[in-house]
Amino acid sequence: MIDVLIIFDLVLALAIIAIAAGVLVLRDAFAMIVCFVVFGLLSALAWVRLAAPDVALAEAAIGTGVTGALLLKTLAHLRGRTLSAPLRMDGPVLANASLCALATLAGIGALLATPIGGPGLEGLVAQNLLASGVEHPVTAVLLNYRAFDTLMEVVVLLVAIIAVWSVERGVTRAPAPVMGEVYAGFARLILPAAVIVGVYLLWVGAIAPGGAFQGGAVLAAIGLILLITRAYTPLPAHRGAARIAFVIGTALFAAVALFVAQGGRATFEYPAAYAKSLILIIEAVVTISIAATLAALFHGREPVAVTVREARA
Amino acid sequence: MTEIVSLDWLALTVFVPLLGAVLSFLVPRIAPQIGLMTLALAGLCVTMLALQVIPGGPVIVALGGWGAPLGLDLRADGLAIIMLGMNVLVGGFVSLGALDTFSARHAGEESARMRRYFWPLWLLLLCGLNGAYLSTDIFNLYVMIEVIALAAIGLTVLTGRLDAMRAGLEYMFASMLGALLFLMAVGLAYLQAGRLDFAGLAVHAGEPAMMLAFALMLVGLALKTALFPLHFWLPNAHASASAPASALLSGLVLKASLYILLRFWVEIFGPGERIGMLVGAMGTGAIIWGSVQALRTQRLKLLVAWSTVAQIGLICVAFALAGTIGAQTAWQGAVLLMVAHAVAKAAMFLAAGRIAQETGHDRIADLDRSHLRPTLAQFAFALAAISLIGLPPSAGFAGKWLLMEGAMRAGAWIWVVVAMAGTLFSVAYLSRPLIGFLRFDRAPDPVGEHHGWAIADAPPLMLAVIAVISGLVAVQIIGVISIGAPFGAVP
Repeated sequence: MIDVLIIFDLVLALAIIAIAAGVLVLRDAFAMIVCFVVFGLLSALAWVRLAAPDVALAEAAIGTGVTGALLLKTLAHLRGRTLSAPLRMDGPVLANASLCALATLAGIGALLATPIGGPGLEGLVAQNLLASGVEHPVTAVLLNYRAFDTLMEVVVLLVAIIAVWSVERGVTRAPAPVMGEVYAGFARLILPAAVIVGVYLLWVGAIAPGGAFQGGAVLAAIGLILLITRAYTPLPAHRGAARIAFVIGTALFAAVALFVAQGGRATFEYPAAYAKSLILIIEAVVTISIAATLAALFHGREPVAVTVREARA
Repeated sequence: MTEIVSLDWLALTVFVPLLGAVLSFLVPRIAPQIGLMTLALAGLCVTMLALQVIPGGPVIVALGGWGAPLGLDLRADGLAIIMLGMNVLVGGFVSLGALDTFSARHAGEESARMRRYFWPLWLLLLCGLNGAYLSTDIFNLYVMIEVIALAAIGLTVLTGRLDAMRAGLEYMFASMLGALLFLMAVGLAYLQAGRLDFAGLAVHAGEPAMMLAFALMLVGLALKTALFPLHFWLPNAHASASAPASALLSGLVLKASLYILLRFWVEIFGPGERIGMLVGAMGTGAIIWGSVQALRTQRLKLLVAWSTVAQIGLICVAFALAGTIGAQTAWQGAVLLMVAHAVAKAAMFLAAGRIAQETGHDRIADLDRSHLRPTLAQFAFALAAISLIGLPPSAGFAGKWLLMEGAMRAGAWIWVVVAMAGTLFSVAYLSRPLIGFLRFDRAPDPVGEHHGWAIADAPPLMLAVIAVISGLVAVQIIGVISIGAPFGAVP
């Protein structure tokens, strides 16, 4: 008797490969983005089947949701200029394809040669879970054992927004389309729910799948909806507050890491009694930074006063 | 050896630039002051760390108190100290140069924008670079190279000009592809070894998944280091950025991925001589192709950028000697060359920026027709050229000498020939602008002798002087490199 789930897995795997191929073969940019979003959702499902709900949440929220929004926004900026290059099958493409195929074959070979269920750090993670201050192993890894990595991931987002703000693209002549009443109604319905889901994801991260990045992405979606519906327009006067929102996660995370390093403790070594509170505070503030940064990345430019030169351009 | 110290200078080396970047982003009005202060503090951190490492041996800090493999260890040995010192020394002088390039004297919206954003991007870059030199964990290194790459791309497009944007986009694609290959390799290595720290991975070297992981990392890091034939993104990116950004990109950013490759090669994977030969051959290709392009190009900044391609190739010749009897000498030579190139190339880009600023163009053919001769900047350029060519007493000379000595010990004469050929090539292409500087007979108007001198000439000139005389302390530098025996015990 064949397990139903095995059939499901097989279909899922084939669908993922098919949709990935579709993204590459399609020539219409909008269709490509839609396929990419579907690809992301199916991948999230695959992560669930692989018993990695944290990754699934991140894939769905960031890899699919925010990335899809960014891609669509970029498409809107192109204003009708789509990717027109036809699909070619010439020498360089074929050479690249065969090289990629070779590398993939090598990968499969190497994968087959590795021990199944080989060594890992799960045991060590579980042993030290009590001392980490949180009950969810993934959160323990991200916010305690390897907190430095997570700090630097937050820094990556900070660098990204600084780099985006540093590029002055000028103001486009055509006004962006304003969403109609349907969207405004949708926003009224979805905003309170999104706030609750985002905060819940953050809070539950201590004991179950969830956490700062996933919660931040959901909260960023609120920012996206506010921006799309024009319920909120970034103004030059808001830049100071925005800067604070971008850096506060990094700054607090780093400050706590340095501050706890006294009385013989190392950097990032939270005192056991305060570990859980510190981790939750750090996660909450980092969530704010992630949400603000992702929403600002979607907006895509520093809100500066329109100068004469830009207005002419 | 773990040391408990009152102040964690090692972690501060990473955190000081990070907090400085945060402050300079928050208060853009005084960003330059914050930037210089941060550089001074980072210099202090590196000095204090060096004062611990040089007498006491490597310093290891277990972040969070967990220790590898569960947590992350940061380690500073002699090699890391030298690279950190290179960061703050070159970075400090480039910062001084940036003060003028982005000074408030240049009116206009664009200048104000660059002044606001240069400092946070550069300080975050420094944070990533310092972190990469201290890391002992491959996933941590992945995060670090992401920070480095994004900050470097931000610096590339800082001028906002269209050519810089195009080059920056190309750079971003290359850099992201390199990072993704690296990440795939991290996954494979974890699958095989079940841990991510250097020491834990080294045990598994030679197993199939680890070999594939190394192959992926080699390609990814070669992309980021712009090793021929994966250098395609470099010339435009480095030539179209502003002068201080080019100096940082060429002098410091490339060294991080090269250093990571070197560490992996020596500490984890230890691949066979054939792979070494392959990298050496790529280096040889880089020397030839980079030099030929440097001989052909019409623009001064492009010449300097193509020379970077060739010089990176020369450093990579050391990989061909891995596993031979001359390996240790060759590695030391490679590290010296990395530092020498960082100092000299930063000086050269700053000087080239000054020359373009004074003469109003950077066409090599018109250098000798100009009656404007920014002689101090040209002098700095020439001094930097001495180190890049490898004339005594420069650090470039010492590094090249060690590299060739390693090759001779190994009896691999072919690499001596390659290094020599690289030297001749660099004389050829660097003499193109030098001839332009020194010819006066084609200038239509009388040439003013002290024209175009400015305080802004000081940073490139000082860097160039350091590049030339630092060969005199090469023995001491090698002594520091050897602390903690990064290249194994003396054979």
